[in-house]
This record gives sequence, C-alpha cells and structure tokens, in this order.
Amino acid sequence: MIRAAGLLALALFILLPLAQAVMLSFVVTLPKDGLAEGAVGLMNYAAVLAAPELRAAMVNSAVYVVLNLLLCIAVALPAAYALARYRFVGDRHFLLLILVFRVTPPVVLSLPIFILFSKLGLVNSPVGIALVHCLFNLPVAIWILESFIRAVPRALDETAFLDGHSGASFFFRHLIPAIAPGIGVAAFFCFIFSWVEVVFARILTVTAGKPVTMAISAMFGFQTDMGMVMAMTCLSLLPGLGMIWLVRNHLARGFTLRA
Amino acid sequence: MQPHDNRAWLLLLPALLLLGVVGALPLLAVINYGFHDIFTLSDVQWVGVEWFGDILQSDRFLASLGRSLLFSALALSIQVPLGIMVALLLVGFGRRAIWGLMLCALPLVVPWNMIPMLWLGLVDARTGIVGPWLAAAGFDWKFTAWHTWALILTMDTWHWLGLVVVLAYAGLSAIPPAYRQAAAIDGASRWAIFRHIELPRISGALAIVLLLRFVDSFMIYIEAFTINAGGPDDATRFLTLELGEEIKGFSYGQAAARATLYFLFVLAVVWAFVIATRRTEETA
Repeated sequence: MIRAAGLLALALFILLPLAQAVMLSFVVTLPKDGLAEGAVGLMNYAAVLAAPELRAAMVNSAVYVVLNLLLCIAVALPAAYALARYRFVGDRHFLLLILVFRVTPPVVLSLPIFILFSKLGLVNSPVGIALVHCLFNLPVAIWILESFIRAVPRALDETAFLDGHSGASFFFRHLIPAIAPGIGVAAFFCFIFSWVEVVFARILTVTAGKPVTMAISAMFGFQTDMGMVMAMTCLSLLPGLGMIWLVRNHLARGFTLRA
Repeated sequence: MQPHDNRAWLLLLPALLLLGVVGALPLLAVINYGFHDIFTLSDVQWVGVEWFGDILQSDRFLASLGRSLLFSALALSIQVPLGIMVALLLVGFGRRAIWGLMLCALPLVVPWNMIPMLWLGLVDARTGIVGPWLAAAGFDWKFTAWHTWALILTMDTWHWLGLVVVLAYAGLSAIPPAYRQAAAIDGASRWAIFRHIELPRISGALAIVLLLRFVDSFMIYIEAFTINAGGPDDATRFLTLELGEEIKGFSYGQAAARATLYFLFVLAVVWAFVIATRRTEETA
C-alpha cells in the first residue's frame, strides 16, 4: 500500500510539468491565421513542421548526435578493450584523466573552444558540436564499454585468435556482437548528455546550424507563441523516448566510478 | 589477473588525441588567457596574477561561492537519498520495475533550456496546473528568496533524480537473492540490510553520481538564470552567473581567470574524493 502510494507520488511529480507542456502544445495561444486563442487541435504541430528553420534544427540535432555517438563509440571501444584486458604503466592515471575531463564544466571551456573551432572552420556546423560533446561523452562511453567487455570471458578473445581472426575481424565479428547491449547503453547515456546540452550548442552556433535546443530559444521574443514552443518541445522529446524504449532492458546496467 | 602489456597504450591513442583537441588544448588556452588583459585577439597584454587577486579578494565572489556550495550541498542531500529510496522501491517490483525506470529517465531527455520553462509554466499563478494553489498558499518565487531556492531545487531534483535512480538501481538489482535470504534468516533489521548488503553494492555507482551531481549543481547556469535571473536581490546569484556576465561584457581575460579558478576548485574536490575512495577500497 505504502509502496503503491510512493510510486503514485513519484509518477505525479515527474509527469506534472510534462502534462502542462503537452496540454499547452494542443492549444492556440497566439491568435493567427483566423484561429482564435484557445482553439484546440494539432495547429501548433502543423506550424512547427511547416517552419523551415525548425525542420532544419531537427536535422541539425539529429546529425550532430549521431556523429557524436558514432565517434564516441568508435574511439571508446579500443580504449575500453585495453583497460578491460591489460594492465599497463599509467592505466590508473588514464582513468583519472578521463574523469577530470568528464567533470570539467563546459562554461570553463566555452571561450577557447569557440576561438579554436572558429580557426578550424567548425563554428555553425553540427560537426563542431559533435566533436566538442566528446569531452563529456567519451569518458562515459569508455566506463560503460569497459564494464561490459570485462564481463565477457577472456576465452572469447583467445579462441577467436586461435581460429586465426585478425584484430579487426575479432573486433567486428566477435567482440561487438558480444557487447551489443553495452553499446546500446553507452549510446543512451551519450544521447542524454548530448541531445539536451545547451552551453556548447549555443556558443558554437552563432548564425546557422542551430540545433533543436537553440531553435526553441530563438522562438522566444516580444510575442512568444507558447503553444508552438511547447509543440516543438514535445517533438524534441520523441527521439529521447525512443532511446529509453530501445535500451529499457539494459538500462539497469548503469555505470560506476573507475578511478 | 590481466597480463601486463604497455602496447595497450596504442589502443588509447585515438581517445587521447580526441580529448587533447577538445579538452587539453582549450584548457591550456583558458589558463593562458587568465594571465592576460584581452582587448581583441590581436591586442593582448600580460597582467600576471592581477585578475586572480581581484577575483579572490572580492566579496561578491565569496558570496557566490558560498551560495553555490550551499546549493550543491542541498541538491546532493535531497537527490541522493531520495534516488536511493526510489531505487529500493523499484527493486521490490521485480520485472515491472523497468516501467518505473523509464518513467524516472523521462526528465533526462528534456532539453535543458526548456526545463525552467516547463516549471515556470507549472507554477504560473494564472495558467499553471499547480500555480493558482501555490499562489493562494502565499508562494511567491519572484520576490521571496527561499521560495526561489525551493523552486530551483525542486526543478533540479526533477531533472536529475532519474540519473541517481537508474545508477543506484543498477547496483541493487545485481545483488543475488541469496544475500537477502541469508539476512532474513539471521533476522537482520531493514537498516542493517541496507548498511551491510545494499550500500556496499551501490557504492561505485553512488561515487559517480555524487561527482556528476556535484559538478553539475555547482556549475548550474541556464536553469537557475532562467527562473529568476539571479534574484531576488542576488539571492540565487551562483558562480556561473558572474562568469556569464563577464563573457557577455567582453571581459575575456577576467572571465578566463575566473574559469581557471572554478576549474581548479572542481579539480580539488574531485581529487580529494578519488583519494578518499581509493583509501576506503584499500582498507575494505
């Protein structure tokens, strides 16, 4: 009984702010196109999908998140394998180093990142955001993948090499299938830190290439169409919901401090 | 036991290269800027430790530091115990706990700049779902300092509780049932089970939760700023708000010095934490 009440209170606490947004997203809050204020329907969603800059923002966000996930996992896999399978001079120092980068506040680095990336021509492009988000996502990806690789018996490596597999073919044909859930979990945690991030996303998109977060910010003005803002917000939740659903059975693996 | 092989460093090279470009280089640059007065990028003058001295001696800095530390302490002391309690509650539901986990993870995928907007909408005295009741009860987040604090803390808890729950649940669900059965046979109290069986299993997850939550709450910016712009009367003026003002005011040298100080502070806390964890691991 107490447990059910606790769960109910939790659900209420989490869903209330979202309920408000979902409700508002179906209501016309700014009279336009002959629609009266207070009319209910899908008008806000239609308006969001009809706006070219908002559509472009969704594409930009999708591009940088996918790039970031691919980059993080491709770079984290060999590192995680090394940490899980070998001991070497400075292994603990490496773990401490990635922890330091994970906890470096983005605001601290925003200024030099902007200067460096404008020299490299990476401002206003999703590639720049994808790169810089590796700062906090790569450590997380390494921690998660390392724990999954550690859980795979070493015999898998040994039989594969005895069977004559090269390093690359072992990685793709044996290791990756064995830790596929780990890749999913790593992708999930990278996603939740990257899709919603605003500090780097703002500083790196001055005039173009704005992701969803910045496109929503740009919708605020003298007369803000709150219904449309909320419709855009609700749409921006969909990829996250998809990710949660995909990894639901492996979410419970989490990650732990390695230092 | 893992074999010793220093060639493993070759596998770390891509990661080191990437972190070098997006982490180490900018970090060195920001430290370097902190010792200069920067008018434009081509007009830069060495000023030594002047900025650092100015910042450390200003009362505003110390007041903001105090507020940020208090905010972090409150956020951690609410979110960590609450998250563990929710995780314990969910473990009791067995397979169905997955729905609870998904529910808790929901706020994690909301864009950070929209989280304060959602909460401002919710507590709006005219149109919010709970706003009119709160207003009737005398809740005034705009002009009463502790109400603003309560709102920001509630919002931050809403946002990050899921991370604590998911990571704590991960540790708890890995405990073999035999442990709990043995404890039940011994007649162990609920607290004894938590202290001696459950807590050791989630300590690794809690360590990372404590660190991540400390840094993120200590450096809270967009969310706190959107709620009340540091007000009322500077009551929610956290460390990052000052940094933001200096960057907006093109005072780059001073901003860089301040950023360096913040980084050193975070580094010191993380370092102390890691040393403490290693020591307890060795004695355990």
